[in-house]
Amino acid sequence: MQHDPIDLAAAEALHPNWKRDDHLLTRLAANAAQHPAEIAMRERDRGIWQEYSWSDYLTAVLEFAAGLEARGVKPGDIVLVIGDNRPNLYFAMLALAALRAIPSPAYPDAPTEELAAQMARENIRCAIAEDQEQVDKMMEARERHPDLRLVIYDDPRGLKGREPEGVAGFDDLRAEGAARLKAEPALAKDLIARPSVHDVAVLMHSSGTTGAPKGIPLKHGHVLSGVRNAAAAGYFQQGEVHMAYLPIGWVGDFIFSIGAALDLRFSVNIPESQETVMHDLREIAPTLYFCSPRAWSAMLTRVQVGMAETTGLKRKLYDYFMPRAMAAERAKLDGKPATSGGLSRWLGEVLVYGPLRDRLGLARVERAYTAGEAIGEDVFLWFRALGLNLRQFYGQTENCALAVAQKPEDISLTTVGRPFPGVEMKIDEHGEILLKGDNIFDGYFQNAKSTAETLVDGWLHTGDAGQIEPDGQLVVLGRVSEVVEKADGQRFIATYLENRLKFSPYIKDAAVIGKGRQILTAIICIDFQAVGQWAQEHGVPYTSYAELSQSPRIYDLIAGQIAEVNAHLPHGLSIDRFVNLHKEFDPDDGEVTRTRKLKRNVIDERYGPIIEALNAGAREIDFKAQITYENGQTGSLDRVLRLSDVKGAA
Amino acid sequence: MFYRLSGVYQTNYAADRKLWKIPADRWQVIAVLVLALMAPLYVSPLYLGSYVLPWVIWSAAALSLTLLMGMAGQLHFGFAAVMAIGAYSSIHLVRAGIPFEIALILSGVVSAVIGTLFGGAALRVKGLYLVMATLAMQYLVDWVVVNVPWISGGAHATLRTPAVNFLVMPIDSLAARYWLALGWAVLITLFFLNVKRTSFGRALVAIRDKDFAAAVIGVDPFRTKLAAFFTSSFLGGVTGAILAFCYYRAVTPEQFGFNVSIQLVAMVLVGGLGSVIGSYLGAGFVLLAPIFLTNAISSLAAAGWVPVSQNFLSHLPLIIYGAMIIGFLLFEPLGLAKIYDNIRKYFLVWPFRHAKS
Repeated sequence: MQHDPIDLAAAEALHPNWKRDDHLLTRLAANAAQHPAEIAMRERDRGIWQEYSWSDYLTAVLEFAAGLEARGVKPGDIVLVIGDNRPNLYFAMLALAALRAIPSPAYPDAPTEELAAQMARENIRCAIAEDQEQVDKMMEARERHPDLRLVIYDDPRGLKGREPEGVAGFDDLRAEGAARLKAEPALAKDLIARPSVHDVAVLMHSSGTTGAPKGIPLKHGHVLSGVRNAAAAGYFQQGEVHMAYLPIGWVGDFIFSIGAALDLRFSVNIPESQETVMHDLREIAPTLYFCSPRAWSAMLTRVQVGMAETTGLKRKLYDYFMPRAMAAERAKLDGKPATSGGLSRWLGEVLVYGPLRDRLGLARVERAYTAGEAIGEDVFLWFRALGLNLRQFYGQTENCALAVAQKPEDISLTTVGRPFPGVEMKIDEHGEILLKGDNIFDGYFQNAKSTAETLVDGWLHTGDAGQIEPDGQLVVLGRVSEVVEKADGQRFIATYLENRLKFSPYIKDAAVIGKGRQILTAIICIDFQAVGQWAQEHGVPYTSYAELSQSPRIYDLIAGQIAEVNAHLPHGLSIDRFVNLHKEFDPDDGEVTRTRKLKRNVIDERYGPIIEALNAGAREIDFKAQITYENGQTGSLDRVLRLSDVKGAA
Repeated sequence: MFYRLSGVYQTNYAADRKLWKIPADRWQVIAVLVLALMAPLYVSPLYLGSYVLPWVIWSAAALSLTLLMGMAGQLHFGFAAVMAIGAYSSIHLVRAGIPFEIALILSGVVSAVIGTLFGGAALRVKGLYLVMATLAMQYLVDWVVVNVPWISGGAHATLRTPAVNFLVMPIDSLAARYWLALGWAVLITLFFLNVKRTSFGRALVAIRDKDFAAAVIGVDPFRTKLAAFFTSSFLGGVTGAILAFCYYRAVTPEQFGFNVSIQLVAMVLVGGLGSVIGSYLGAGFVLLAPIFLTNAISSLAAAGWVPVSQNFLSHLPLIIYGAMIIGFLLFEPLGLAKIYDNIRKYFLVWPFRHAKS
């Protein structure tokens, strides 16, 4: 066994509330026994939805588990799972849990080097890959990590009958497993009974903002406690319709699409591809919807672009009703008594809000959530004005992403709500948020040092700076480690400023630099869609992102946006100079993580000359841009970038 | 704004080919059907008998013709003759003691056989030449009907329809005649909607778009064109019988003259070729617009608002009517059906401009 063998007595002492047989497999078996025909999963395939009932689900899991075992997967083995959301990948993760092996999901766009490093770190010998593309990556990784013996693919296209050595199909393994199950009638029951609540259900990874990602093992008990805490707070309900479109490497997808789905009998719906998510979302019309503030904002931008080019009457109606609903929501947010809105609200519902919710696929959403970073006031208010009860929550991989959330009644832009029942929260003397509860993990994967730093006396040190409001709601300020000082001693959190900047529809990404410097400067990545639309309307010619970004009129536009943000900042804190970058930050260039968090050291290093020039007050800079091509080659490109003051320009 | 597509998804391809997948379309169809069924309850007998009933029957006739002209692309300028064959056959069959229900079907068969004979010309000629061939049919049939006393009873004779029962319902009262006509129109409508989804329907469309290209992909033009003439003439024949029994009740040869054929073509063109809703709208427009225009102008003239001579006044509605047809076809060459479609799409993509927003 590769991971620490479970000492049952110690495990039970650690989590006295957990019942040994209460794990994901028994939840699945219970659903299959009590609701065998109910739809557990749907996947859109060539335009129509393939349905899987709970009994199909259980059969697939057990057959695949039996097949995997016959191929030599042992308890404690860590198995890489990589690909887009697919029913078979979910079945595979549970099959691994039945064998007491540990699925280690990865992001589908992770490059081979990252994967090979992860395989070496976790001593991975078996991988489950979605399609030919991922299998190719596995083959490449195998050259560096020859221990990878078995690769199982889901989509047979381009692979069936032409498998390289050590590669087998999901369906073939299932067939082998089905034969085994037939020959050994006791095996099915045995597979369900093998795991315990104290087994690790999944190995997640920290985003790796700083250094190599850390492995975060979550046990069945952690996942189920987190889900039940959330359900107790009314955060999930039994039988939700859920859309599984977020990457399986993200903790939230495991919690929503497997943990909560099994415990609360969700129907999990999987889109045809990442490109069709919005369309498929409308077909399914989920009751529960989560997406990042960035995605909510992108949805709003899409509507705004659509409304800008729509026909006269439709735009007039939108322009009449939407600001009204926004104003009503703003008043509610400011604590003024809520008004029903009467006839105007009703008309707006029929003419604008209802149709828009329908178009966005949010018509049946009762619980809409966002988390991960701060959400823009306009975005938040717009969706609430649309009639969605959009709420924020707060959590990390270490606590199953379920720790603190807003109740339906305490809606606020700045706070993220109260801890779930079963979760304790306090702020320590450094202003750091500490959490305790059954959903908090028991330590990093083979990293005792980090574990000791993070878990002290059962309290999880989140690394986030926060404060608790008098009414008990939590305000998250930013990373404790991110509080930095300018040369004049003024403290600021760059992420906070960047998020304020990103609330502008024209700014997609921003990096604010000012540590130890006289002034604050910003590197801006414009939003190509929104700025492109603006350019078309205002007659600004452009051919490419790079050219658009360097247009003087776009500089004026962005300067105006930054000046607006400055106006709402504390005295003495303002962004004085900025540059429009010729490209967007890209995870493939290592500037942001896969979850689009800035990697500051990379930015500081790569754009050092630009930052120096900004601080020195230069008007433009000849910048040698490093670029990485899709095939892995690197090259460089000379660019002249304009540098601008915020004040004079606007 | 009332079109909601959220939560509309299909789990198999059969369901994906459903006629009305969108709930809003479904309830519109149901509402129209209920309104049509209840018409005898809330429309006065005068309006029911002289506007609604002929509208329903002529819509069925336009549907029969648009199967041939719109779907299969074969021009037919003698469709009134096809209906005449149906009307006269049914009366003679009923008089010969054959039950009405069977007489309806047989009259359709007679029309179909004769119609297919003339349609055979379509195997050799296209376009204007086919128009000539079908015109020949119109005049031949007219001539035979008028000059064979055994059929029409003589050039100026009127042939009364005998009293009949459809199943158990006596086709006597206005409501009964209306319901029978409506039932036939609904039946043709359903047939037409479903034909579009069959291999036969796709073969018709292939023939329309290019007959030799259709032959290349394995559609037999000979059989398909004959089948198109056969089907369309069968439907037209039964519609002719329905027209005789439910509306005219006394048949003369003039009722199926050349001008009626032209009117039918106008219905199909103004409505929109090959469209179901277009057939209803086209029939309604061609049939009812002159009546409404005449009424409107005579009431305006009575109020002294139209200071023109009496002679000119009687032609004014026709002038406006002609201008309207030209106007509609200029504004939307694909007919009233396309106008309806534009309006529907305006609401379908609400509040955006197009579907991809």
